[in-house]
Amino acid sequence: MSDGVVKEERKARSTRWLSLDGWAVVLALALSLAVWVGLIKQVPW
Amino acid sequence: MASGVLTVEPVSENLSRKIGSLIPGVALLFAVGYAGRIIERSIANYGKAHHLALPNIEYVLWAIVIGLLIANTVGIPKIFEPGLATYEFWLKAGIVLLGSRFLLGDVLKLGGVSLGLVAIEIVVSLLFMTALGKAFGLNPKLTTLLAVGSSICGVSAIIATQGAIDADDEDASYAIAAILSLGAISLFVFPLVGHWLHLSDQSYGLWAGLGIDNTAEVTAAGNLYSDAAGKVAVLAKTARNAMIGFVVLGYAIHWARKEHTKEIENKAAFLWKKFPKFVLGFLLISAIATAGVFGKDQLTSLANLSRWAFLLTFAGVGLRTNIRELGKQGLRPFVVGTLGEIVIAALTLGLVYGADRFLKIGT
Repeated sequence: MSDGVVKEERKARSTRWLSLDGWAVVLALALSLAVWVGLIKQVPW
Repeated sequence: MASGVLTVEPVSENLSRKIGSLIPGVALLFAVGYAGRIIERSIANYGKAHHLALPNIEYVLWAIVIGLLIANTVGIPKIFEPGLATYEFWLKAGIVLLGSRFLLGDVLKLGGVSLGLVAIEIVVSLLFMTALGKAFGLNPKLTTLLAVGSSICGVSAIIATQGAIDADDEDASYAIAAILSLGAISLFVFPLVGHWLHLSDQSYGLWAGLGIDNTAEVTAAGNLYSDAAGKVAVLAKTARNAMIGFVVLGYAIHWARKEHTKEIENKAAFLWKKFPKFVLGFLLISAIATAGVFGKDQLTSLANLSRWAFLLTFAGVGLRTNIRELGKQGLRPFVVGTLGEIVIAALTLGLVYGADRFLKIGT
């Protein structure tokens, strides 16, 4: 479990041009924009 | 020209293969999380139909328990692994979207108090864990990793520190296993203690945000208590995460001096590299929401998007917890971690009691 975490994280850090955090922020902002302009009208829960 | 064709095609193929490899795992995260929702609703509907006062067990717990059962009985086939690893991505996207549910004033107020408490927690935890590691004869780098993992932010802090102090993979694996195992235990212990002490949503959320190490477990433990507690827990943990760069930098300098390895030339660039960017995204969305850009229905939609992202995360928390792994890790680091966590939990509970009267915000 933990060996895998270390290896995956290292590999990802060395190859990513935008970090995981960066992509998460991009997705969240894109979704917010889609909600604001009305592309996403109602999200049920 | 020909070389252009030769390079572009493999890149797009590689990307689509990568995205395709994520689908089974993400589908499993959704299936497990949604199964938790169905169980929660079914129990509530059964209670209503039969006029029974059944306890409301949130989908969060069901999702984690189903994930734990799958991971520790039938196991997870390799095909699901890339997609399961995205649980942390959903967690961070969910936290950024959660910013829409906070007014910036509340973020600054609670974040400010949390930062003060975080500073106390970090100093005491680092000193205590270091002393404990020495007393139990752990190697100094493993002690450092355990100290950073339990005082700031779990796996991310351990990985960042490992790179900065050049610790062995085995030490990092050991520290991560101990922190994840203790996080899984905290998930169940914190809500029980919170209910036993009749903590308010706010106090409990702050306690979970300060006392539990990994962001995913903090979010789950907060939401297990209540939606409002989940919000406060995430905010307090976000304040804690913001400190990661400073502590890692401090340790990097300490170990570089001790081992006479290369010094860090650009400290500001180092801090920026280690700083968790989703904290900035969270603040940005909170500022936009505070400015009144979103309507009421839009805010509800953003809050629900955040909930769906967390649903995938909670399923991931259960699915990646391997109980058998606990036994393999040996006893000493686990004892050091456990003792440290108990002391930190008690300390942060005391801090929260002390700070409670400064924290009257609308959640």
